[in-house]
Amino acid sequence: MTLPTTCGSLVIAPAAELIERLRGGRGVRPMVDPNLAGGVRAWLEDGLHERFGAQWRGTLRLSSSDVAPAAGASGALPVLRGALVAQLVALHVAGVTIDGAFHVAIEAMRSSGQEDQRLGELARLDEDDLAKLRVEVAAHDQVLRSSLHELPTRWSPRCGVRLGLALAGGRVHCTGRVDLALGARGGSHASTCLVDVTTSPLDVRHETLCRYLALLETLRTGEQPLRVAVLSTAEASCLVEDVDAGLLADAVTDVLDVLEAQVAA
Amino acid sequence: MSARRYLCPPPEVLAATLTDEPGRPLELPDELRARLLEALRRPAPLRRPRRLDAFVVERGGELAATPFQWTARTARRSLGRRAARALATGVTPDALRAARLEVERLCDRARCGLERRGGLAPWLAGASTPVREQCAMEAAAWAHELIALLRPERTGVDVGLADAWFEVPGARTTLHARRDATADAGVLRLRDGFPSARAVDGLSVDGLVVALSAGSVPARVVGCWPDTGLAIVVEMTASRLEEAASNLVLAARPIETPSLVAA
Repeated sequence: MTLPTTCGSLVIAPAAELIERLRGGRGVRPMVDPNLAGGVRAWLEDGLHERFGAQWRGTLRLSSSDVAPAAGASGALPVLRGALVAQLVALHVAGVTIDGAFHVAIEAMRSSGQEDQRLGELARLDEDDLAKLRVEVAAHDQVLRSSLHELPTRWSPRCGVRLGLALAGGRVHCTGRVDLALGARGGSHASTCLVDVTTSPLDVRHETLCRYLALLETLRTGEQPLRVAVLSTAEASCLVEDVDAGLLADAVTDVLDVLEAQVAA
Repeated sequence: MSARRYLCPPPEVLAATLTDEPGRPLELPDELRARLLEALRRPAPLRRPRRLDAFVVERGGELAATPFQWTARTARRSLGRRAARALATGVTPDALRAARLEVERLCDRARCGLERRGGLAPWLAGASTPVREQCAMEAAAWAHELIALLRPERTGVDVGLADAWFEVPGARTTLHARRDATADAGVLRLRDGFPSARAVDGLSVDGLVVALSAGSVPARVVGCWPDTGLAIVVEMTASRLEEAASNLVLAARPIETPSLVAA
């Protein structure tokens, strides 16, 4: 394992070490705290009550992109690139030999049944953009190939896992999507890992995203995950965070701050 | 109280809702059954067969905006149910392998001409390897959730059984209830996303269709939304059955209207 690099407060490792870092050392996994999820939910509910008051009757929708908004280039191309790479994640995890990443990703997108809008956007691209996208997807595919190979199926890999959380009697809906989930819940030790794949370089907002996904998973299943990670296919690096009560408490603050900003807007 | 809500219920709690027998088992009254079937037969014969289920009832009779087509998403429950059964019965401990076995089985059946056209098997048989693997991944994730929710190896709950179907005589109408897990006293189904405002109505309709199909009323119908960790347990009472029958009839009306106008 090579030494990780740092970017601000982030500790970033090479993408090829993702699986090794998610697995971690044996015997050091934290016990599942059966009261943690209830406590975190109570923090959130109390925080909503304190910030918005009992009289507040609005409805709010919060997604990963609200908590960790995309930085840098806007437009259809980065979004399409991300959607196509997400399709390739599932195929790499399944161990498919991918020949012609761009076309395979489009085929997978078409048969996924969930990306009609993206397919429409793709059909509207001109030749130059299509060529650019083809090259970019192929480059990102190389990183996936090196970081997600030899993933044991006994780790129960699941792709495109949706996470949701209803708060304040259903008036606040928080949603997220994890590109890859590993491990099974139900044991005495935390053993699930979440991986989000991004096609942009890692920065501080990915740390926020890690916290948000860990919060949703904890409240969805009643068990905190072991680790949460973001894999950047843009720079072949990954950010892996251990999940503990401190990280979840920070996630609660993040969510409340974003909700407060939404209400103020 | 006839509907209970749970947050992240442990497998033992969910299993208990499916296995605990009620004090007095409920019968589907003959009079209600006759009234429901009569209402579904009225007012005129339909030009096309129709299918009614909890999804249609929750949407007040509105059908899906786009015609059905096989995708990895629409195939995942069919494949995932069999994969979950393979996991629960110990055929394989690996969800992805179980899903792949089911995909291969269906492809073999399609190649031998044992499956009807337009079904999942011929679609899978004609799909490329990446698409089949994508379907297997989706199904494995679905099966994993069902097994994680119920732990059938510990709780003894049956998973991956056939859905409940009931053909309304003389009405060209089929009633359908999804059944992802069952035990002596109840049925359970997995749902996507967040519970809708009419989730309890949908679950009650599932209970009614199971009663019509099996002849006995399940004591409880459990809806689980694994995306959010929510579960709703609906106790099937006489008034619930009555309500479910009314909701089915109300949902049937908007569906039959276009056909009647066209006639």
